Amino acid sequence: MAKLILLWLKCIILYNAVDAVFEDQVGKFDWRQQYVGKVRFSHFDTHVQSSKKVLVATENNVFAALNTRTGELFWRHVDKSGPEGNIDALLHHGQDAILVVGNGRLLRSWDVNVGGLNWEIVLDSGSFQKACLVGQQGTVKHVAVLKKNIISLHYLSNGHQKWIENLPDSETVDYQTVYSGGNGEVYALGIVPHSHIVIIAYSTDDGEIIKQISVEAPWLSNIVASCAVIGQGVLICVDSAPPSLYMYNLNPNMDDLQMTQIPLQSLGLEVAPDFQPVLVSHQPNSAHQPLSEFFLQLGPDNFLLLQFNNGQIVTLRDFKPALLVSFATTGEKTIAAVMSPKNKTACSINLFSAETGRRLLDTTLIFVMDPNGGKPEKIYIQPFLKKDDSVGYRAMVQTEDHTLTFIQQPGRVMWTREEALSDVVTMEMVDLPLTGTQAELEGEFGKKADGLMSMVFKRLSSQLILLQAWISHLWKLFYDARKPRSQVKNEVTIENLSRDEFNLQKMMVMVTASGKLFGIDSKTGSILWRHYLNDVPSNAAFKLMVQRTTAHFPHPPQCTLLIKDKDTGLTTLHVFNPIFGKKSHVTPPALPQPILQSLLLPLMDQDYAKVLLLVDDQYKVSAFPSTKNVLQQLQEMASSIFFYLVDSSQGRLSGYRLRTDLSTEQIWEVVIPMEIQRIVSVKGKRPNEHVHSQGRVMGDRSVLYKYLNPNLLAVVTESTDTHQERSFVGIILIDGVTGRIIHEAVQRKARGPVHIVHSENWVVYEYWSTKSRRNEFSVIELYEGMELYNSTVFSSLDRPHAPQVLQQSYIFPSAISTMEATLTEKGITSRHLLIGLPSGGILSLPKMFLDPRRPEIVSEQSREENLIPYAPELMIRTEWFINYNQSISRVQGIHTSPSGLESTCLVVAYGLDIYQTRVYPSKQFDVLKDDYDYMLISSVLLALFFATMISKRLAEVKLLNRAWR
Amino acid sequence: MWHRERIPLLLAFVQSVLVVGWCFTEMEAGPGAAMSTQTNGDRFKIEGRAIVPGVKTQDWVSTARVLVDGEEHVGFLRTDGSFAVNDVPSGSYVVEVVTPTYRFEAVRVDITSKGKMRARLVNYIKTSEVIRQPYPLQIRSSGPHSYFMKRETWGWTDFLMNPMVMMMVLPLLIIVLLPKVVNTNDPEMRKEMEQSMNMLNPNPELPDVSELMTKLFSGSKGSSKAGSSSKGTRPAAKRR
Repeated sequence: MAKLILLWLKCIILYNAVDAVFEDQVGKFDWRQQYVGKVRFSHFDTHVQSSKKVLVATENNVFAALNTRTGELFWRHVDKSGPEGNIDALLHHGQDAILVVGNGRLLRSWDVNVGGLNWEIVLDSGSFQKACLVGQQGTVKHVAVLKKNIISLHYLSNGHQKWIENLPDSETVDYQTVYSGGNGEVYALGIVPHSHIVIIAYSTDDGEIIKQISVEAPWLSNIVASCAVIGQGVLICVDSAPPSLYMYNLNPNMDDLQMTQIPLQSLGLEVAPDFQPVLVSHQPNSAHQPLSEFFLQLGPDNFLLLQFNNGQIVTLRDFKPALLVSFATTGEKTIAAVMSPKNKTACSINLFSAETGRRLLDTTLIFVMDPNGGKPEKIYIQPFLKKDDSVGYRAMVQTEDHTLTFIQQPGRVMWTREEALSDVVTMEMVDLPLTGTQAELEGEFGKKADGLMSMVFKRLSSQLILLQAWISHLWKLFYDARKPRSQVKNEVTIENLSRDEFNLQKMMVMVTASGKLFGIDSKTGSILWRHYLNDVPSNAAFKLMVQRTTAHFPHPPQCTLLIKDKDTGLTTLHVFNPIFGKKSHVTPPALPQPILQSLLLPLMDQDYAKVLLLVDDQYKVSAFPSTKNVLQQLQEMASSIFFYLVDSSQGRLSGYRLRTDLSTEQIWEVVIPMEIQRIVSVKGKRPNEHVHSQGRVMGDRSVLYKYLNPNLLAVVTESTDTHQERSFVGIILIDGVTGRIIHEAVQRKARGPVHIVHSENWVVYEYWSTKSRRNEFSVIELYEGMELYNSTVFSSLDRPHAPQVLQQSYIFPSAISTMEATLTEKGITSRHLLIGLPSGGILSLPKMFLDPRRPEIVSEQSREENLIPYAPELMIRTEWFINYNQSISRVQGIHTSPSGLESTCLVVAYGLDIYQTRVYPSKQFDVLKDDYDYMLISSVLLALFFATMISKRLAEVKLLNRAWR
Repeated sequence: MWHRERIPLLLAFVQSVLVVGWCFTEMEAGPGAAMSTQTNGDRFKIEGRAIVPGVKTQDWVSTARVLVDGEEHVGFLRTDGSFAVNDVPSGSYVVEVVTPTYRFEAVRVDITSKGKMRARLVNYIKTSEVIRQPYPLQIRSSGPHSYFMKRETWGWTDFLMNPMVMMMVLPLLIIVLLPKVVNTNDPEMRKEMEQSMNMLNPNPELPDVSELMTKLFSGSKGSSKAGSSSKGTRPAAKRR
């Protein structure tokens, strides 16, 4: 019976805790954007004339098919991140796409139409060099894979290996590329740098070596970089000193041991100084020979279209200036596309006949470059034959900032994909500014009073402005109502951005690893501004800080992005306006020294910008902005400014204090022995977090006070010993001001990755238990006890009693990718943990389930407190997924931000995809629910009203009748 | 006086300074190093097949993935629903088929160092418990995921079928209708009813519940009304 009651109780509690999405809310508050990453290989699907697919394989280990009309995804396959899922090669034939994955570990074939796998096989070990399709008698049936020491041939239909051969002398010869011209032979080309080229011809049928030749090439160091195969199997190489072309016929009945040299001077060509010339060749069909025409790049902006004809090189056309070139084939026609700069902001693309070098008429396409974007990097051409047999085309341009732009003639942009957003590093949500009228009203209250009459006038004028705004709003409504619905556009632009009444719409400022910054409207997901920083180092770490919010009209809001080179530690600051994305006129200080730490103080200068302190490697502090006012304030406050530094390579945590002369003084140091464990992460609390209640009311009406130390740091360590019996995860709670260790816990037989959330008086962390092979959650809660030591203020320096520590652990039935806690304006709403799962779901788990006071045996008191009885396993219910079926691949971070409504927390999850939604951890208690039944309440009211009327009448009649009696 | 005002300010400073401070300390990505120590021994293949009854495989395979221990190893589904996760060292793994639309149960697969495979039910609490599953895996979907809650719609039937309403309405009906249906003036009937009443209340010594309630609540004025209402109905029935 007790069990039954327990179960019933649990059900009730669980039901109440459910925080699911309703089906009709789909897409109402949330949006998702799917990305693929920086494109490495791309092919247009050409096997059907009307195909709308373009296949892309990216550096994020994603293979996807995009719709060329809209830019949306047909399907996408996300492989394991890191080198094991790295896509080495993409070959495309008919409706199959062949991928070599993980440094030649796997060979996969995908069905392009369905997006399903045809087959996958494991290749022999060895580092991958090159793969190519092998055709015979006009059909392509095999794929050849060249590795460091072996070459193998596989059937396209099922991946089975036809033959595998060891490459001769693979210790000395560096085999770099493989080529097949469709004549029953596969050539493996290797090189002994600065000595000779090794050419081996294999028979496609049985892998027998037909011919093996060494050709002298003492000037050559890399085949891939400076050679190409053209025409009827002619290997052509280019060298810069002296600038010449070298040719060698691979046709096996020739027995030359020398390459024919053609000095470029004899062709009347000159190489730009310090430029390594590059060859670009094209093989339209793997079953046939490559073209005899090829591009030779002689300088950064100089390309030549050359033709090889009967042992002679003919210059077909000289392109100067030209930025990019590309070949493309449709039907029997092959064209060469050349992109050349037109003016500062635009480029033009023209098509030329590959055979003759003649310009094709009406093929100019203008590509307008985004002034806030990068330069074009690659072009992909999709040609098609028009009805009159002339060639039309569309072009996909990839720029340095990882943007893909798909353009149609004569320059209409069909779609753009900002693939930089597939790698968001950090983000902030900034309140939108008030509108002009709102600001005007605010300004009225801000100014000093100057006389009664003027105040009255001001009041009246502002009321007039309001009235005007309202009338114009009404007029707009009326005007829009007359128009057909399709024409009414509610497009958000920077100009009409303004804060809504509950501050639910914000500006998402996103910083990506490529150095491109984005401003995204949180309501619709449309990109309102973008800004590409082109001098960002590739291994930069970013930190984004909001120095001034939009609350200080007329001062513009100000964000500062700290860009730190991880190797040198050198740091630059980028100051910008988060609403418009424009670089601020404020010049940031030059920072010659590496920066160790940065802190944003709540101190403001006279322009309401928060002060940013930067600590360099000499432990000197500089402030930005560093006006006199700021320095004076800093001097006054110096004694109360503490900061800490973490040196994870030395296992050292140290605390510092600021002196009045802006030098620093070390006050504590904690060393974690490096031999045993290393620091993995250090987490403090979020500065904008509010805690509403100081304690928890117990079942017996006493209060258990929370230990709310704002300076508490949670330090996670992992053992250096990774043996599953001896590995452990440690957690140390340390006061950041005094260096006092508040609590220390060790989880034995556990290893990382550890995900941790630190908030209020609790720390939740997740680790892998090696003993039981499962993921476990552990929660630590800190309480002061039944009495508060000093209830008005918390001081780290004056807290004599150690807090009570409660801890409990749970089993979690899935791995997790990332974890964050919800955040609301005042902290009244109960907290949920948002857990990103590898399956793509984001689970909203009530913190109530992670409560170390969950009792094993239910008592009257625990029931009174609404504690859920302890159960070892936490559940994953799909109803708790805040993103329902909109799964998000590779969630890397979840950003939570309070809104103007206490019940509502704005959530942005980012990874490969970006997803924005709202969550209501305690349901929507402060607004009417959107399913509020107005009809019911009004009908009940009306019914009651009429009932009273009728009954009153009846009572009157009855009274009258009685009086007559 | 001044220092009292200053302390909270001071603490606010300390707090924000510290909290801001952590953000910029970079950490090495920890787990990678741990994995590399694994010996490059034999690698095995986990094979199986996922089935969604009544749905064509083409319609869902492009969104599906096979995850082994989170994202430790990833496999894809072939166009016929079968899958193979290559390159897995020996050990014990949880294999899941993940799609946004259909639900699949996870399976634990044990691989010995010699490459013997066994599949069993996942039990995180009793980790050593073995309930064998077929291998190569046959994972059958148990239907679509339920992501959404039903809206609480208001209907007359819901209202009427509510137990509270039933409890209120039924006695009301009895009170109103019974005297009309049964002729209370008939002495035989009255006798019969009294008998049945006695049957219902076999132990006259036991205090009547309603009376008990009235006694209990008569002290507090607020609830006396509730008591009196119950008093009004029950004794009325008794009087008959």
